[in-house]
Amino acid sequence: MKTKIALLILFISGNLFAQEQKMTAAEIASFKEDVNVVSKKIKTLSTDFVQYKHLDFLSKDIETSGKMIFKEPNLLQWQYKKPYNYSIVFKNGKILINDEGKKSAVDIGNSKIFSRINKLIIGSVSGNMFDDKEFTISYFKSKGQNVAKFIPKDATLKKYIKQIELTFDKEEATVEQVKLLESSEDYTRIVLKNKVINAKIDDSVFTN
Amino acid sequence: MQKSTIQFLLINCLLAIIMVSCGSVTKNYTPKKLDKTSYEVPYFKDSKTDYVYKTNITVYGHDLTGIFIAKKINDTTHRVVFTTEFGNKLLDFEISEKSFKVNSIVSELDRKILVNTLRDDFRLLLKKEYQIQEQFENESDDIYKSAYGKRDNYLFISKKDRKLEKVINSSKTKEKITLLFNSENDIFAEKIEIIHQNIKLKIELNYFKSE
Repeated sequence: MKTKIALLILFISGNLFAQEQKMTAAEIASFKEDVNVVSKKIKTLSTDFVQYKHLDFLSKDIETSGKMIFKEPNLLQWQYKKPYNYSIVFKNGKILINDEGKKSAVDIGNSKIFSRINKLIIGSVSGNMFDDKEFTISYFKSKGQNVAKFIPKDATLKKYIKQIELTFDKEEATVEQVKLLESSEDYTRIVLKNKVINAKIDDSVFTN
Repeated sequence: MQKSTIQFLLINCLLAIIMVSCGSVTKNYTPKKLDKTSYEVPYFKDSKTDYVYKTNITVYGHDLTGIFIAKKINDTTHRVVFTTEFGNKLLDFEISEKSFKVNSIVSELDRKILVNTLRDDFRLLLKKEYQIQEQFENESDDIYKSAYGKRDNYLFISKKDRKLEKVINSSKTKEKITLLFNSENDIFAEKIEIIHQNIKLKIELNYFKSE
């Protein structure tokens, strides 16, 4: 009986380890270095994305999708194409919104949360975010992937986001999934695919 | 003499305008014999369906957009969540005819008057059944009058395809809130508008199919 339990524990913990394991200090240093090296080379990035909004009480995640375009140092466009057209551009301290042709602008000063998300997304491709003092960061690894988990220190941000998880492809050292947890049950998961790095992107793309 | 005539006319005109605008909601409708005593609304009643709408709220000239989600979680209660397009939750309510619970709300929206208005709007929107006391008709619709606290609701059912197209929430003399429904199949509404007559608030919901 004791052996059985021991085996069971071994099996369960073995399984857990297979999924996600804490990085050692050396692994963290090497992972950060990898991301930094790659991100320093990134001048532009465009990628398709699929966003899954998970709410515990819903039968299905709410799925929206589109394209994200980034250009150094801080131009960013999020464009939802399905099932509706909604595009948001971060540019010169402003957020420009195009909602099915209806345009508006928001000063980032009034929308702290957006400016932080912007900083974080840009940070995750530029490699600066591991030095971000606003988060407590922990590092994990699994097969083919590295995961960095960010817990906000700021009380205001914490109200909106409990934790941010960035999943990196081990080979490429670039972000392939962003997960924003609002609570243990509710989160937004954004999967990035068809990444194109350093294609020529004109500034005029970032108008809305 | 002339001056007082003009004044008299002005006052008369003014009175006429006030009388017209204060007239009962039903003044243009013909009373009719009741053909039913209750009406069940089809649009938010299925507990298996996630009702997800792209939403535009216009309040005193300001626009707020996002995603409106409603789900029937038991016989009496709906969960209602409003998020940004990014998925950040702005508010999370549980609403039934008699109960109301705020699971969460961002501090920017946490104003009593706003919360109460949204509570009443969503409660009306999600109301599943109306008891009917009087019936009227106009050219296009059968109109059912249903008592609702101090106010009345008027349900407009199209004569052509028997769909609920409009609900007017009204005091004895004045229309307060209008709900407009566009529905293809009479099971759910693809487009809904909630329009306030006494405050500058309009909520527009457009159903979207998540792929």
